[in-house]
Amino acid sequence: MAFPPALARALARMGLPEAERERLAALHYHDAGHGYDLFGMHPDFVAFGEALVSPLYQRYFRVRSCGAHHIPSVGPAVLAANHSGNLPIDGMMIWADVLRQTDPPRVARPIADHFVPSLPWVGTLFARTGMVGGSRGNARALLESGNLLLIFPEGVPGITKGWSKRYQLQHFRVGHAELAIRHRAPIVPVAVIGAEEQYPELFSSKRLGALFGIERVNVPATPIPLPVRYHIHYGPPIRVDEELRPSDADDPAVVAGVAARVQEAVAALITAGLAARKGVFL
Amino acid sequence: MRSVLVSGADSPTGERLVRTLLGDSRVDRVLAVVRGKVERSPLMASDRLRIVGVDLASARRAHELLFGPARDMAIDVVVHLGHLTPPGEEGERAHAQSVESVRSIIELSERHPTIRRLVLRSDAAVYQVQRDLPVLIGEDHPLNMAGTAPQYVRDRVEADVTACVRMGLSPLQIVVLRMAEILGPGTGSQLFDYLGSPVCLRPAGYDPMLNLLTQDDAVAALQRAIHSEAQGVFNIPGADTLPLTACIASWGRLSIPVPGVWMTPLYRWRRLVTGHDFRYGMNRRRFHYSGVLDGTRARQVLGYVSAHPVDWPSPVWDREPR
Repeated sequence: MAFPPALARALARMGLPEAERERLAALHYHDAGHGYDLFGMHPDFVAFGEALVSPLYQRYFRVRSCGAHHIPSVGPAVLAANHSGNLPIDGMMIWADVLRQTDPPRVARPIADHFVPSLPWVGTLFARTGMVGGSRGNARALLESGNLLLIFPEGVPGITKGWSKRYQLQHFRVGHAELAIRHRAPIVPVAVIGAEEQYPELFSSKRLGALFGIERVNVPATPIPLPVRYHIHYGPPIRVDEELRPSDADDPAVVAGVAARVQEAVAALITAGLAARKGVFL
Repeated sequence: MRSVLVSGADSPTGERLVRTLLGDSRVDRVLAVVRGKVERSPLMASDRLRIVGVDLASARRAHELLFGPARDMAIDVVVHLGHLTPPGEEGERAHAQSVESVRSIIELSERHPTIRRLVLRSDAAVYQVQRDLPVLIGEDHPLNMAGTAPQYVRDRVEADVTACVRMGLSPLQIVVLRMAEILGPGTGSQLFDYLGSPVCLRPAGYDPMLNLLTQDDAVAALQRAIHSEAQGVFNIPGADTLPLTACIASWGRLSIPVPGVWMTPLYRWRRLVTGHDFRYGMNRRRFHYSGVLDGTRARQVLGYVSAHPVDWPSPVWDREPR
C-alpha cells in the first residue's frame, strides 16, 4: 500500500460523502513535516481507511455504538477492549466507530502485535491509518503526545481463543494499566459484542500459527465472516489519571489492581451487552 | 571563548563546521585536521585557523597532534569527525580509522593539559531497527550489536560505546551525537547513493518511515555541543520524516517494488557494474521497518531543534492541498 496520499485522497472521495470528508478535515494529528506523523499515519489514508471500512461498518456488521461520549475528546487516553474473532475486524470496527463518534474526530491508535508491522502491504496500510507496533516505546511516545490508544489487553490469546471460549475474557496483561498510570491517561473500557461469533472455528493449527509467530491460528468454518451485528459499548473511564500518581506505575500490585478493574469493567459491559442484544444477527 | 580542534575537516560536514566556527564570535581559534594533504583543503589558513594533515589511524600521529599543535593553540574542545570511514572501506585500516582513533583521542585528551571536552559524531546506524522495537528511537534504544552486521556498523557501534563507557569516569566532558543520515554527497550516506539511480528498487509491500538530516542542522548540533557544558548521548534528528516512497519521489526518482529477495543480488550487480556503493544487506532492516530518531533530549539539554529541511529536487506529495 505504498501509494501517494493524493491517490488515497481520490479513493476516499469516491467512498465517503462530502460531509464526512469535511468532518475528517478537522482531524488533529502531529504532522512530522511531510504530512505523515512519526509513525507513518497520514490523514488522507485515514479517510481512505474509513472509506474502505464503511461498507463493513454500516452494511455488513451494522455496528451499533453505545457510550461513545465516554471517550475523552482531547488528551491521552487508553481504550481497553476485549479481543476476538480470528481476524482483527473488531479492531477495525472500533477504529471506525471512534472516528465516527468523536467530534472533532479522533483516531484510535491500535497497538498491534509485533508481527503485524512486518506483514507486507497490510502492515503499511495499517500504519498509514494509525496502527503502531506493540512496543512499550511506541505506546509511551503516543501517550506523551496526547494520542488515544486502542489496546487489547488479552493480546493474541484473546483473538485466537476459539469458539467454545467466546465471551470468556482471557488473562488481561498489565501493560495498558502501567502505561495509563505513568502517563496520566484515563482508561475507557470497551466491549465488543458480535465479533466472537463472526468466525465459527473448524479447527485450530499450531503449525499455521508458527508462520505468523503466534501460538495458534483458528481455521474458520466459513470463508468470510458471518454478517453478525456488532455492538460496541464504551464504559465510564477509569480515572487512573486522577486517582494515582505516575510513580504508582512502579508498584506491581497497583498496576495489577488497575488491570483487574479494567477486566471487571469490560466483563460487566459484555454481560450487559449480551443481555441487551436480541440475537447474533439482529 | 573556545579553541576547537576539528578532525575530519576535509569532510563536507567538517569543512562546513570549520567555516561556521570561524564566523562564531565565541570561538577563538580553530585547528582543522584533514586526512589528506593540507594543500588540497579548500580551507584557507589564517590567524584564527590552522590546518594540519594528520592520519589519526596512527596513535603516534594523534599523540603528536594533540601534544604538539593542539597544546600550542590551547585547544579546549575536540570535535572528532575524522573517524567516519565510507561504508565501502573495510579491514584493519578502516577499523583503526573508525575505532582506534576514537580510543586514542579519548585516552590522550584525558591527560591533556588544555582539552576538557570531546564531541564525537556518531550516527543512527548504531541503532537496531527491527519489528518489535519502537519506531521512535530514544538514546536508550538497543544498539546493533549483531556479529553479522557489516564492519561499517560494528565499527560505528564500537566507537560509540568506546566513548560512552568513559562518560562520568573520565575527566573529559564527553558528548556523543548520534546523527540521522545526512542526505548529501561525501557523507557516506547509503540513501544518497541509493537515490543516485533514476530508478530505485524497493522491497514490495514495505514503506518504512525515515528521518533525514541536512549538513546545516548537523553543523548547528555540533556547534551547540561545542558550547554546551552538558555531556551524554544525544540523538540528532533532521527536519524530514517521511516514508521511503515519498523520499524517492521527492528526489525525482522512480520507485519500483520488487520481491525483497531480489534486492540483494540486484544491488550487488549495480555496485559491480556502475561502481555505486549502496549495499542492500546493510540497509535491509530499515527498508522494512521504520526508525526515527527522537530528538527530545537534544532539544531539552542542548537546545537543538532541526530547522533546515532537505532541499528536495521535486517535492511532489507533500504540497498538494487536502
